[in-house]
Amino acid sequence: MNAFRAGLGLQAALLRRSPGDLHILATVPLYTLILLAMTDAPHRPGLAPDAIIAPTLMALWSTALFTAGDLIDRDRYNGTLEPTVAAPAGLAQVVAGRISAVTATGLLAFAEAWAVGRCFGVHLTVRHPLPLVLGILATSLTTACTAAVIAALLVLTRGGRPYQNSLSFPLYLLSGIVVPIGELPHWLHPVSRLVYLSWSADLLRSAFRAGPPRDLPVQLLALGLLAAAGLACAGVLLRRVLARVRVLGTLGHA
Amino acid sequence: MNAVEVLGLRRHFPSSSRGGRGTPRTALDGIDLTVGIGEVHALLGPNGAGKTTLCKILATVLVPDAGTARVLGHDVVTELAAVRPLIGCVFGGDRGLYGRLSARRNLLYWGALYGVPGRELRGRAAGLLERFGLTGHADERVETFSRGMKQRLHLARGLMHDPRVLLLDEPTTGMDPVSARDFRTLIGELRGEGRSVLLTTHDMAEAETVCDRATLIDGGRILHTATPRQLGALLSRHERIEATGVPARLADALRARPDVTSVHDGADGTTTLIEVTDREALAPVLRLLIDAGVTELATARPGLEEVYLRLIGDRGMEVVR
Amino acid sequence: MNTRPRPEALTLLRHGSAIAVADLAAVYTWRTWLFGWLVRMLSQVVFFTLIGRLTGGDERFLVTGNALMVCAVEATMVVASSAWERSLGTLPLLVAAPARLAWTFVVRSLQWVISGTATSLVALFALGPVFGLRWTAGSACAAVPLVLLTSLGTYCVGLALAAFVADRPGLRNVVSNVAYLGMMAVCGVQVPVHYWPPPVRAVAQALPLTHELDALRGVLDGAPPVHVLLQALLGAVTGAGWLAVAVLGFGWVARRGRRTGAIEFGT
Repeated sequence: MNAFRAGLGLQAALLRRSPGDLHILATVPLYTLILLAMTDAPHRPGLAPDAIIAPTLMALWSTALFTAGDLIDRDRYNGTLEPTVAAPAGLAQVVAGRISAVTATGLLAFAEAWAVGRCFGVHLTVRHPLPLVLGILATSLTTACTAAVIAALLVLTRGGRPYQNSLSFPLYLLSGIVVPIGELPHWLHPVSRLVYLSWSADLLRSAFRAGPPRDLPVQLLALGLLAAAGLACAGVLLRRVLARVRVLGTLGHA
Repeated sequence: MNAVEVLGLRRHFPSSSRGGRGTPRTALDGIDLTVGIGEVHALLGPNGAGKTTLCKILATVLVPDAGTARVLGHDVVTELAAVRPLIGCVFGGDRGLYGRLSARRNLLYWGALYGVPGRELRGRAAGLLERFGLTGHADERVETFSRGMKQRLHLARGLMHDPRVLLLDEPTTGMDPVSARDFRTLIGELRGEGRSVLLTTHDMAEAETVCDRATLIDGGRILHTATPRQLGALLSRHERIEATGVPARLADALRARPDVTSVHDGADGTTTLIEVTDREALAPVLRLLIDAGVTELATARPGLEEVYLRLIGDRGMEVVR
Repeated sequence: MNTRPRPEALTLLRHGSAIAVADLAAVYTWRTWLFGWLVRMLSQVVFFTLIGRLTGGDERFLVTGNALMVCAVEATMVVASSAWERSLGTLPLLVAAPARLAWTFVVRSLQWVISGTATSLVALFALGPVFGLRWTAGSACAAVPLVLLTSLGTYCVGLALAAFVADRPGLRNVVSNVAYLGMMAVCGVQVPVHYWPPPVRAVAQALPLTHELDALRGVLDGAPPVHVLLQALLGAVTGAGWLAVAVLGFGWVARRGRRTGAIEFGT
């Protein structure tokens, strides 16, 4: 637990010192504004939750992809990875702590998007508070687990980095965070369902809809399963990172 | 006309504490310095002495607070267009190159920035690559180079526009001994070509072997300028005796003598270092030691390194800010 | 006395663009460009265009705007790549060289203009027809220079911003992201410019993207050639204005750096 707390504290300090790493939070108000304008939310309140939830999920995914995804690789670049591995604390716990800090800042996006909506004259009514809270928690957890997979993959694969940037919009599109999956070709639907954001988007949207959130258990189960899969995957990959550092003495192929 | 003429140069930096409050740091505190044409001049001093600040001002990337600096008669603040083509600027370490470009491409680009005519660029780059032993790697990406190769390329880059004055700021930082020796040969060649060189370093051996004159600088002030030999002679009157097994009572007695400057224990704990004011003081002190039964004795004169330490003060690793 | 001429612009362009090409080759291979970058950008175009399907909006309007937006996104990367000079340690050497600092920065990131123009053209010609764009030989030929002008104009906007964040390289990502999203919001990409209040419209008029996009939509909708030409010209003029700001800005960077000592030497 100490290692987790140390990782959390380290990352919080790093984020405070380098506001540039939080650039994703600077994009949230603009994405919100664009989506609110596009959906003409003040006159069409039905689409307003979509316009506010989508930038939040985009921000969460981006922080996972870029800030958390870079954690281990940046350590390697700075030469701090080897000493971290050499320390008695478990690498996995340190990484988990750091990713949690990053994911927590990603959650600020929700407040930002909400505030921009208010300025734009959009007042969201939470119809089902429980799904909202559960949705945020489950989404954060799954984001963190997925980020750990990305972080480990980026240090293990030489060719991964150029594709890092390309995992943003294709996934937003696939997961139906604004335009429902129904608008996509049928053969893509199973793929979409493998992206946790698709379940998160449905779950969070249902909290603002009038009808009862009937799919809540399925959505939570899906998010839980994807989180577990991510965690297992990250565990295996992190062990490979450790093995490589210990066997080769370094990961340095940058 | 001198290659470099610096008069009363001052520069301070705001305090690096938050908000710039606190006392400002003085990097240069009224420096006077001349480098003659064809002279190799070493600027010696510990980290934070003000060497790099002076180089930056001469290279036109920093303006002084007061005083003037001229390169071949041109003011570095007001005559930028005249000064810049005259100076070649090289700093140590492996930064300042485009790693994704080949060595040749780097040279061509910097040549172009200095206005080397297009038809001359290629020939000049090839000549310098040859001179620095990089011909075999001319078309490889610089990021694949070893540190020593990057430093050689840096020197080639600084010579692309055939400058008359070279500013070399800690050029041998991190060089291996063989490269450092080659570097010294190169400095000799540059002098032979009639170029003037201002070289900053904290490596005494380097300064001693390559330069015509050396200036010792510390805390933004010039302590002394002389040839390396003169600097060595500066403190030669401070003769030194190393003795083993000096009784404590005798050490105290020596301390009380007016012709003894200092008595202290050597690094190994058994020897005592006794410094006397001049040559004449040697004989009586030696006699006293022998009379007390001390037979392991040696006398020594300080080398340039000691002059440096003496003038700069032995402050170890501390950096003045 | 030194009588060496000021660096010849063409020589500088030729050797400086080598850095641009090398950076492009280092960032992308043809495979990562095609399957990474291009797929990402085309997804962005589809993402925003499909919102039109949700709201009953005009998909042709959206696909045109978003396809042209793609080159603006890439051109603003100049903000980030200009900051690379500082991390490479080449900035003091550039300042110490006789060539004007601004021009070295103008030349060194041209790779984004090339790549951005290519991406936008693929989006317009390959994705456009899926969402209702009908190209003729004439309109396709007219689109090419308009995309190039948009890339160049937005590149100049990015250069001006790069000059102003030159001393704060940590902000480069914030500034470039906010810059292109700001353009996406106000330049008529997703909603017509007149959707916004007058002060925002005035800002939009100062941005090359607004005018070039207007010209491109004019080409596709069969607007009179005079209108198209006028808008294209307005875009070019605003781009030149931003270039002037960038040149002044980099002059300011050099002067300020020399005064404050912000230009670090060596290691």
